[in-house]
Amino acid sequence: MIEVSALSKRYGDFTAVRDLSFTVQPGEVLGLVGPNGAGKTSTLRSLAGIIPPSGGTVRIGGIDLAAEPVAAKRLLAFFPDEPRLFDYLTVRQHLNFVARIYGVADHAALAQPLLEELEIAEKADQLPGELSRGMKQKLAIACGLLHSPRVMFFDEPLTGLDPLGIRRMKDSILRRARDGAAIVLSSHLLHLLEEVCSHVLILKKGEKIAHGSLAEISAQFAHGETGVSLEEIFIRATGGSEN
Amino acid sequence: MLGALLYLRLTSLKNLLLSRLRRLRQPKYLLGAAVGAAYFYFVFSRPFAGAGRPSTSSGSGAAASFTLSTVELIPLLSVFGAFALVVIALFTWLVPSEKQGLTFSEAEVAFLFPAPISRRRLIHFRLLGAQLHILLSAIFFTLLSRGWSFLGGNVLTHIVGWWLVLTVVNLHFTGAALTLNRIFDAGISVWRRRLVILGGFSVLIVATAISIWQNAPAFPTGNFGPGAFFSAIARTIDTGLLHWLLFPGKLLLAPFLAADVRTFFFALGPAALLLAAHYLWVSRLEVSFEEASVAHAEKRAARVARFQAGDYRLGSAPAKARREPFPLRVPGRPELAFLWKNLLGTRALFHWRVWTGCAVAIMIGVPWIIRAGGKAPFAAIIAIIAAVFAIYTLLLGPQLARQDLRSDLPNSDILKTYPLAGWQILLGQLLTPIAILSGLLWLSLLAAILALAPRADTVSWLTPGFRLTAGLCVAAVIPALCTLQLLIPNAAALLFPAWFQSTRTRGGGIELMGQRLIFVIGQLFVILISLLPVVLGCALVIFASQWLIGPAAAVVLATLLALTLLAAEIACGLWWLGERFEKLDLATELRP
Repeated sequence: MIEVSALSKRYGDFTAVRDLSFTVQPGEVLGLVGPNGAGKTSTLRSLAGIIPPSGGTVRIGGIDLAAEPVAAKRLLAFFPDEPRLFDYLTVRQHLNFVARIYGVADHAALAQPLLEELEIAEKADQLPGELSRGMKQKLAIACGLLHSPRVMFFDEPLTGLDPLGIRRMKDSILRRARDGAAIVLSSHLLHLLEEVCSHVLILKKGEKIAHGSLAEISAQFAHGETGVSLEEIFIRATGGSEN
Repeated sequence: MLGALLYLRLTSLKNLLLSRLRRLRQPKYLLGAAVGAAYFYFVFSRPFAGAGRPSTSSGSGAAASFTLSTVELIPLLSVFGAFALVVIALFTWLVPSEKQGLTFSEAEVAFLFPAPISRRRLIHFRLLGAQLHILLSAIFFTLLSRGWSFLGGNVLTHIVGWWLVLTVVNLHFTGAALTLNRIFDAGISVWRRRLVILGGFSVLIVATAISIWQNAPAFPTGNFGPGAFFSAIARTIDTGLLHWLLFPGKLLLAPFLAADVRTFFFALGPAALLLAAHYLWVSRLEVSFEEASVAHAEKRAARVARFQAGDYRLGSAPAKARREPFPLRVPGRPELAFLWKNLLGTRALFHWRVWTGCAVAIMIGVPWIIRAGGKAPFAAIIAIIAAVFAIYTLLLGPQLARQDLRSDLPNSDILKTYPLAGWQILLGQLLTPIAILSGLLWLSLLAAILALAPRADTVSWLTPGFRLTAGLCVAAVIPALCTLQLLIPNAAALLFPAWFQSTRTRGGGIELMGQRLIFVIGQLFVILISLLPVVLGCALVIFASQWLIGPAAAVVLATLLALTLLAAEIACGLWWLGERFEKLDLATELRP
């Protein structure tokens, strides 16, 4: 579903992502982890078509993102860490707007259960300025899910959510994956990733230093120990520093 | 403790100046500073030659237009200035409907409010903080009022004069805010307070009116100029009880209006006493202001954030959702979704019902005014007003109507994930300001066409048929012109995002002012270059064809050519900028 081959991203002389290749199959949840400045956000933004990669290819559902960006983007949704909303559109109007952009004909029928699932149905006629940080996050998620994307990219999806919100978000991600979506998410909350992700990709200084299922990664860095946490694996893999 | 607060102020000021100087290493700021400095030089380069030499006869400059001598003019300015101060004071006491906070930044609130600092010291900190702005404002106003050198005095007396006025006004605002809080705390309702103030003021006005009726000199009769008229007004105002109400204001303005250094020093004493009295009043007030100040700081921070995000409205965000401008059905052109979205963010005024109402009012009103006024004078005035309004709308409109990509640039990450080509997003974003500016220009055109009707009597070719044809042709070109005008600032935002973002910072010094000037000059230059082939082509077509097919048909032909050329330019611009938008990485562009 997501095929990344030799992806690189450079900013002038600085290389943020170097020769990155991996795939994410339907139903898989890939956790993108790494120290600050490892290139996680650059990778996610390149995968979502927000910034053009400096090299390599990204295929979404078999469609080359660089060659056919519009077709590829119909299949994906990107959820930024900070909800980006339009100040003068109510919750419902946000969904109406997104439906027109993606051509979701039966959006009213889809929107209501989505709003109810995310528990913002009561706020449907309110502006973002009247919503709490968590509610805004939920609205951004509802907008992303409206066109039933088959590929989802989450950048720090749990930021700003309360414990209940975190639980619901985790359940929501897992449900989408079970329904066949390919999901990539980046987060520093490793214990939470451990509960959600089926696969992990560890980046450091723009390079892949480990990739595989949780079991594979665990076997690679546990050195025979049992019950080693993802946090411990992360520290061992990255050497405990950003550099 | 005050030492620590002073340290905070001075260190912040030093670091601000250093950071401003440091950023001059970046070409965009250096160039901006150079242009800003050049602007200041050319605007304020008139020498202070007249300063210190008050005229005693007919005056000079502005004074001459009043046909008053400086000796007559100074009391007049003193009265009007004092009256303005009284009005400001009245509103300061009358308007507030909730507890007033003092101006602190969010950081100051976070650090200073929980700190072991007394209220009195916080007030002093606030007063001290305002002094820098007051001093800079005093210098700026002195520069602005250089043309008033006919008043006498010199640069220093004018700076001190302005400083005194601004400081006392600032102290009065602070004192009024704190006193009003005390009134709120005492449980006195807003309307009760307003009734008392208005009642007191009404008594004063009535007493003054009686005094004027009994004592005031009569208005000049016969053929008198504006000087005599304003003098009579000043004499009328400065009568009875109002004379005593104006007295403190006149004392305060006296140093600024002092004709020479000796008069200045004589005037300084009473003004300083007024300042001291205000200071004593403010410093002795022990009233809670923290809660309101926190709310004030939050509102201010939200306003700044909104401004930086492209929302230039001064008021707070609307509390209620607006009615949709039109139903947005699915499926349909996605570009129209942006029009729908951005119209929701505009004021209620931009609604088709309002536009239709305006058009009907113009269609009824303009002919009526012309008929009632005896044709020519009113027709010419309406036509000139419509033309001036149209020119300003076309030139300045794109800077004011920003409901396009410029406002949505912070959301570019989300916009770029939409399954749309870059040009589609750009076109969709442009539709709202195009609609607004086109609507305004169409209304001006309608007024101009109706106002030009009487000219048909004297100008043979200005027949109703020709006016209708020409009007429709211009109306057809207007949206294309607006699109081209709006493409330029959006292109600037996309091609120079770092420059564009920096100009959105409120204030920011001479370098940011220079940057804004560069953008305005650049816009004018590009539009002239873009319109040159269109204008030349149209002129050629009209010149060559009007002899054969008549003026109306020639105008239609020229309009078709203009629309073709403009459409080609717009299409190229949209495609190119759309490509640019697809490649834009705002985070990288804004990296220092």
